[in-house]
Amino acid sequence: MTPATLHPLLAVVVGGLVLAGGAVVVGALDAVVGAAVAGDPRPATAGVRAWRRVVLAWRRPGTVTERPDLVLWVVAPAAYVGVAALALAVLPLGDGIAIADVRTGIVVFGAVEVLAMVAVFLHGWAANSALALVGAYRFVAESLSFLLLSMFVLIAAALPAESMAFGEIVASQQGLWNVVRQPLGLPLFTVVALGTTFWGPLNLPDGADIATGTSLEVGGPAYIAWQVARRAMLAVYAIATSVVFLGGHLGPVLPGPVWLALKSVVVASGFVWLGHRVGRVPMDRFVRVAWTVLLPLSFLHLAVTGAVVLL
Amino acid sequence: MTGWPVDVAFWVLAVGAVWFGWRVFRTDSMVRATFALLVSFLDVGAIMVLLLAEYLGVALFFMMAVEMTVMAIFMVAYMMNPAGLNPMQMVHQPRVAVVAGVLAAAGLAAVAWFADLPSVALVAPQDTIRELGLEVMGESMILMQTAGITLLATMIGAVALTAAHGRFGEATSGSRPPRLDPDAEPVEQEMARPDPHAHHGGHG
Repeated sequence: MTPATLHPLLAVVVGGLVLAGGAVVVGALDAVVGAAVAGDPRPATAGVRAWRRVVLAWRRPGTVTERPDLVLWVVAPAAYVGVAALALAVLPLGDGIAIADVRTGIVVFGAVEVLAMVAVFLHGWAANSALALVGAYRFVAESLSFLLLSMFVLIAAALPAESMAFGEIVASQQGLWNVVRQPLGLPLFTVVALGTTFWGPLNLPDGADIATGTSLEVGGPAYIAWQVARRAMLAVYAIATSVVFLGGHLGPVLPGPVWLALKSVVVASGFVWLGHRVGRVPMDRFVRVAWTVLLPLSFLHLAVTGAVVLL
Repeated sequence: MTGWPVDVAFWVLAVGAVWFGWRVFRTDSMVRATFALLVSFLDVGAIMVLLLAEYLGVALFFMMAVEMTVMAIFMVAYMMNPAGLNPMQMVHQPRVAVVAGVLAAAGLAAVAWFADLPSVALVAPQDTIRELGLEVMGESMILMQTAGITLLATMIGAVALTAAHGRFGEATSGSRPPRLDPDAEPVEQEMARPDPHAHHGGHG
């Protein structure tokens, strides 16, 4: 099968719309789920009311730090959302619809996670501020601890597909979704998703315990840009999770992109629910558990998947 | 891949790779130098994708991104330059470096100029990734395994050197904190470190 691609101009429009729309949907879901968890009598309208907080954040000025690296400070959120766009590009959005469903899909996705680490590190480093720098260092330690999980989980998904392209990974789930066939995959990939977007329990670089870390010194539009970039990345991870574990665009009656959107909204709701319901994991405990429990589990997952494919 | 967009992309990436490679030596911070080198590598990786070595190109992206980040952190750890924000000289042994650089560039240029390289445009070869896999896990396996073990040993050594606590005790054992006056003798007392195993004071 030749990889499906959209026309470059159409790809820019589709990619931009999915990223922007995804960021808005994740923001609204986060507010709605948060309101429901908090027992708000009108949780459905919380998504709309959240706009007030966006306006407030837009008007709040940032801090002037001593000799910051202004170029890298501006580049960091742009790079983060740029690599989110790169990840989106290799994901199939429907049957035969993808920006670039390349043969090396999962390798590109791995590269995105690593480049996201660089972007977050630079965001904290460029501020020239102690707690922002602590956040930057934390994210490198956190990322290095979960990056291998992502690789093993994605390689396991590629084994039955006999291809590293996400389109083939979806096609291989025609009979049975990977969430059933590879039960350890989804929980492990959730750790990676929450880690890369530093969301909820894994918000260690921007955690409240270090006064919001890498985003401590940014305010106004720069702060909004950083938060939008995170939400766009979480939306991309929701789509990737649907593609890898929930059969992507596969489904009866409705068109493929609609199925993918529905599954992604469910996954994103799960992510933001975890963000509200699970407390922040202490840094050293996360690193220890990632290396001593999750990494061996992911290797077991890969070995079992490989054995099942061979049998 | 062929066509004018590919040619434009090649030249933009090639100039970018050289420019950022040059910036490595013009900046005054270890972190900026490291990430300038990363951008240079990313340009090279993108050129490899243009040449249809897409697996190697994309693998270069993530390998170099991890490597450069870890390198930045270890550089800062060893360079006694907190966070790499203090100005510092980025060049050492400049004469040797210039000679080595000119010789290497001349050698590569000679290869490009005189070698009989194929000039047939490849159009979407299907089996390159499979062939690469068979090469790495077949003919070149000993080479790859040797390189892998060497890198692993280096990583373990680097971690052991930076660890605050090892099998021979505390890394700061015997070191004494300096005084504010640079000419004065260091403090008599050894540097105090919190002992996680002792819940009471006593030694010092």
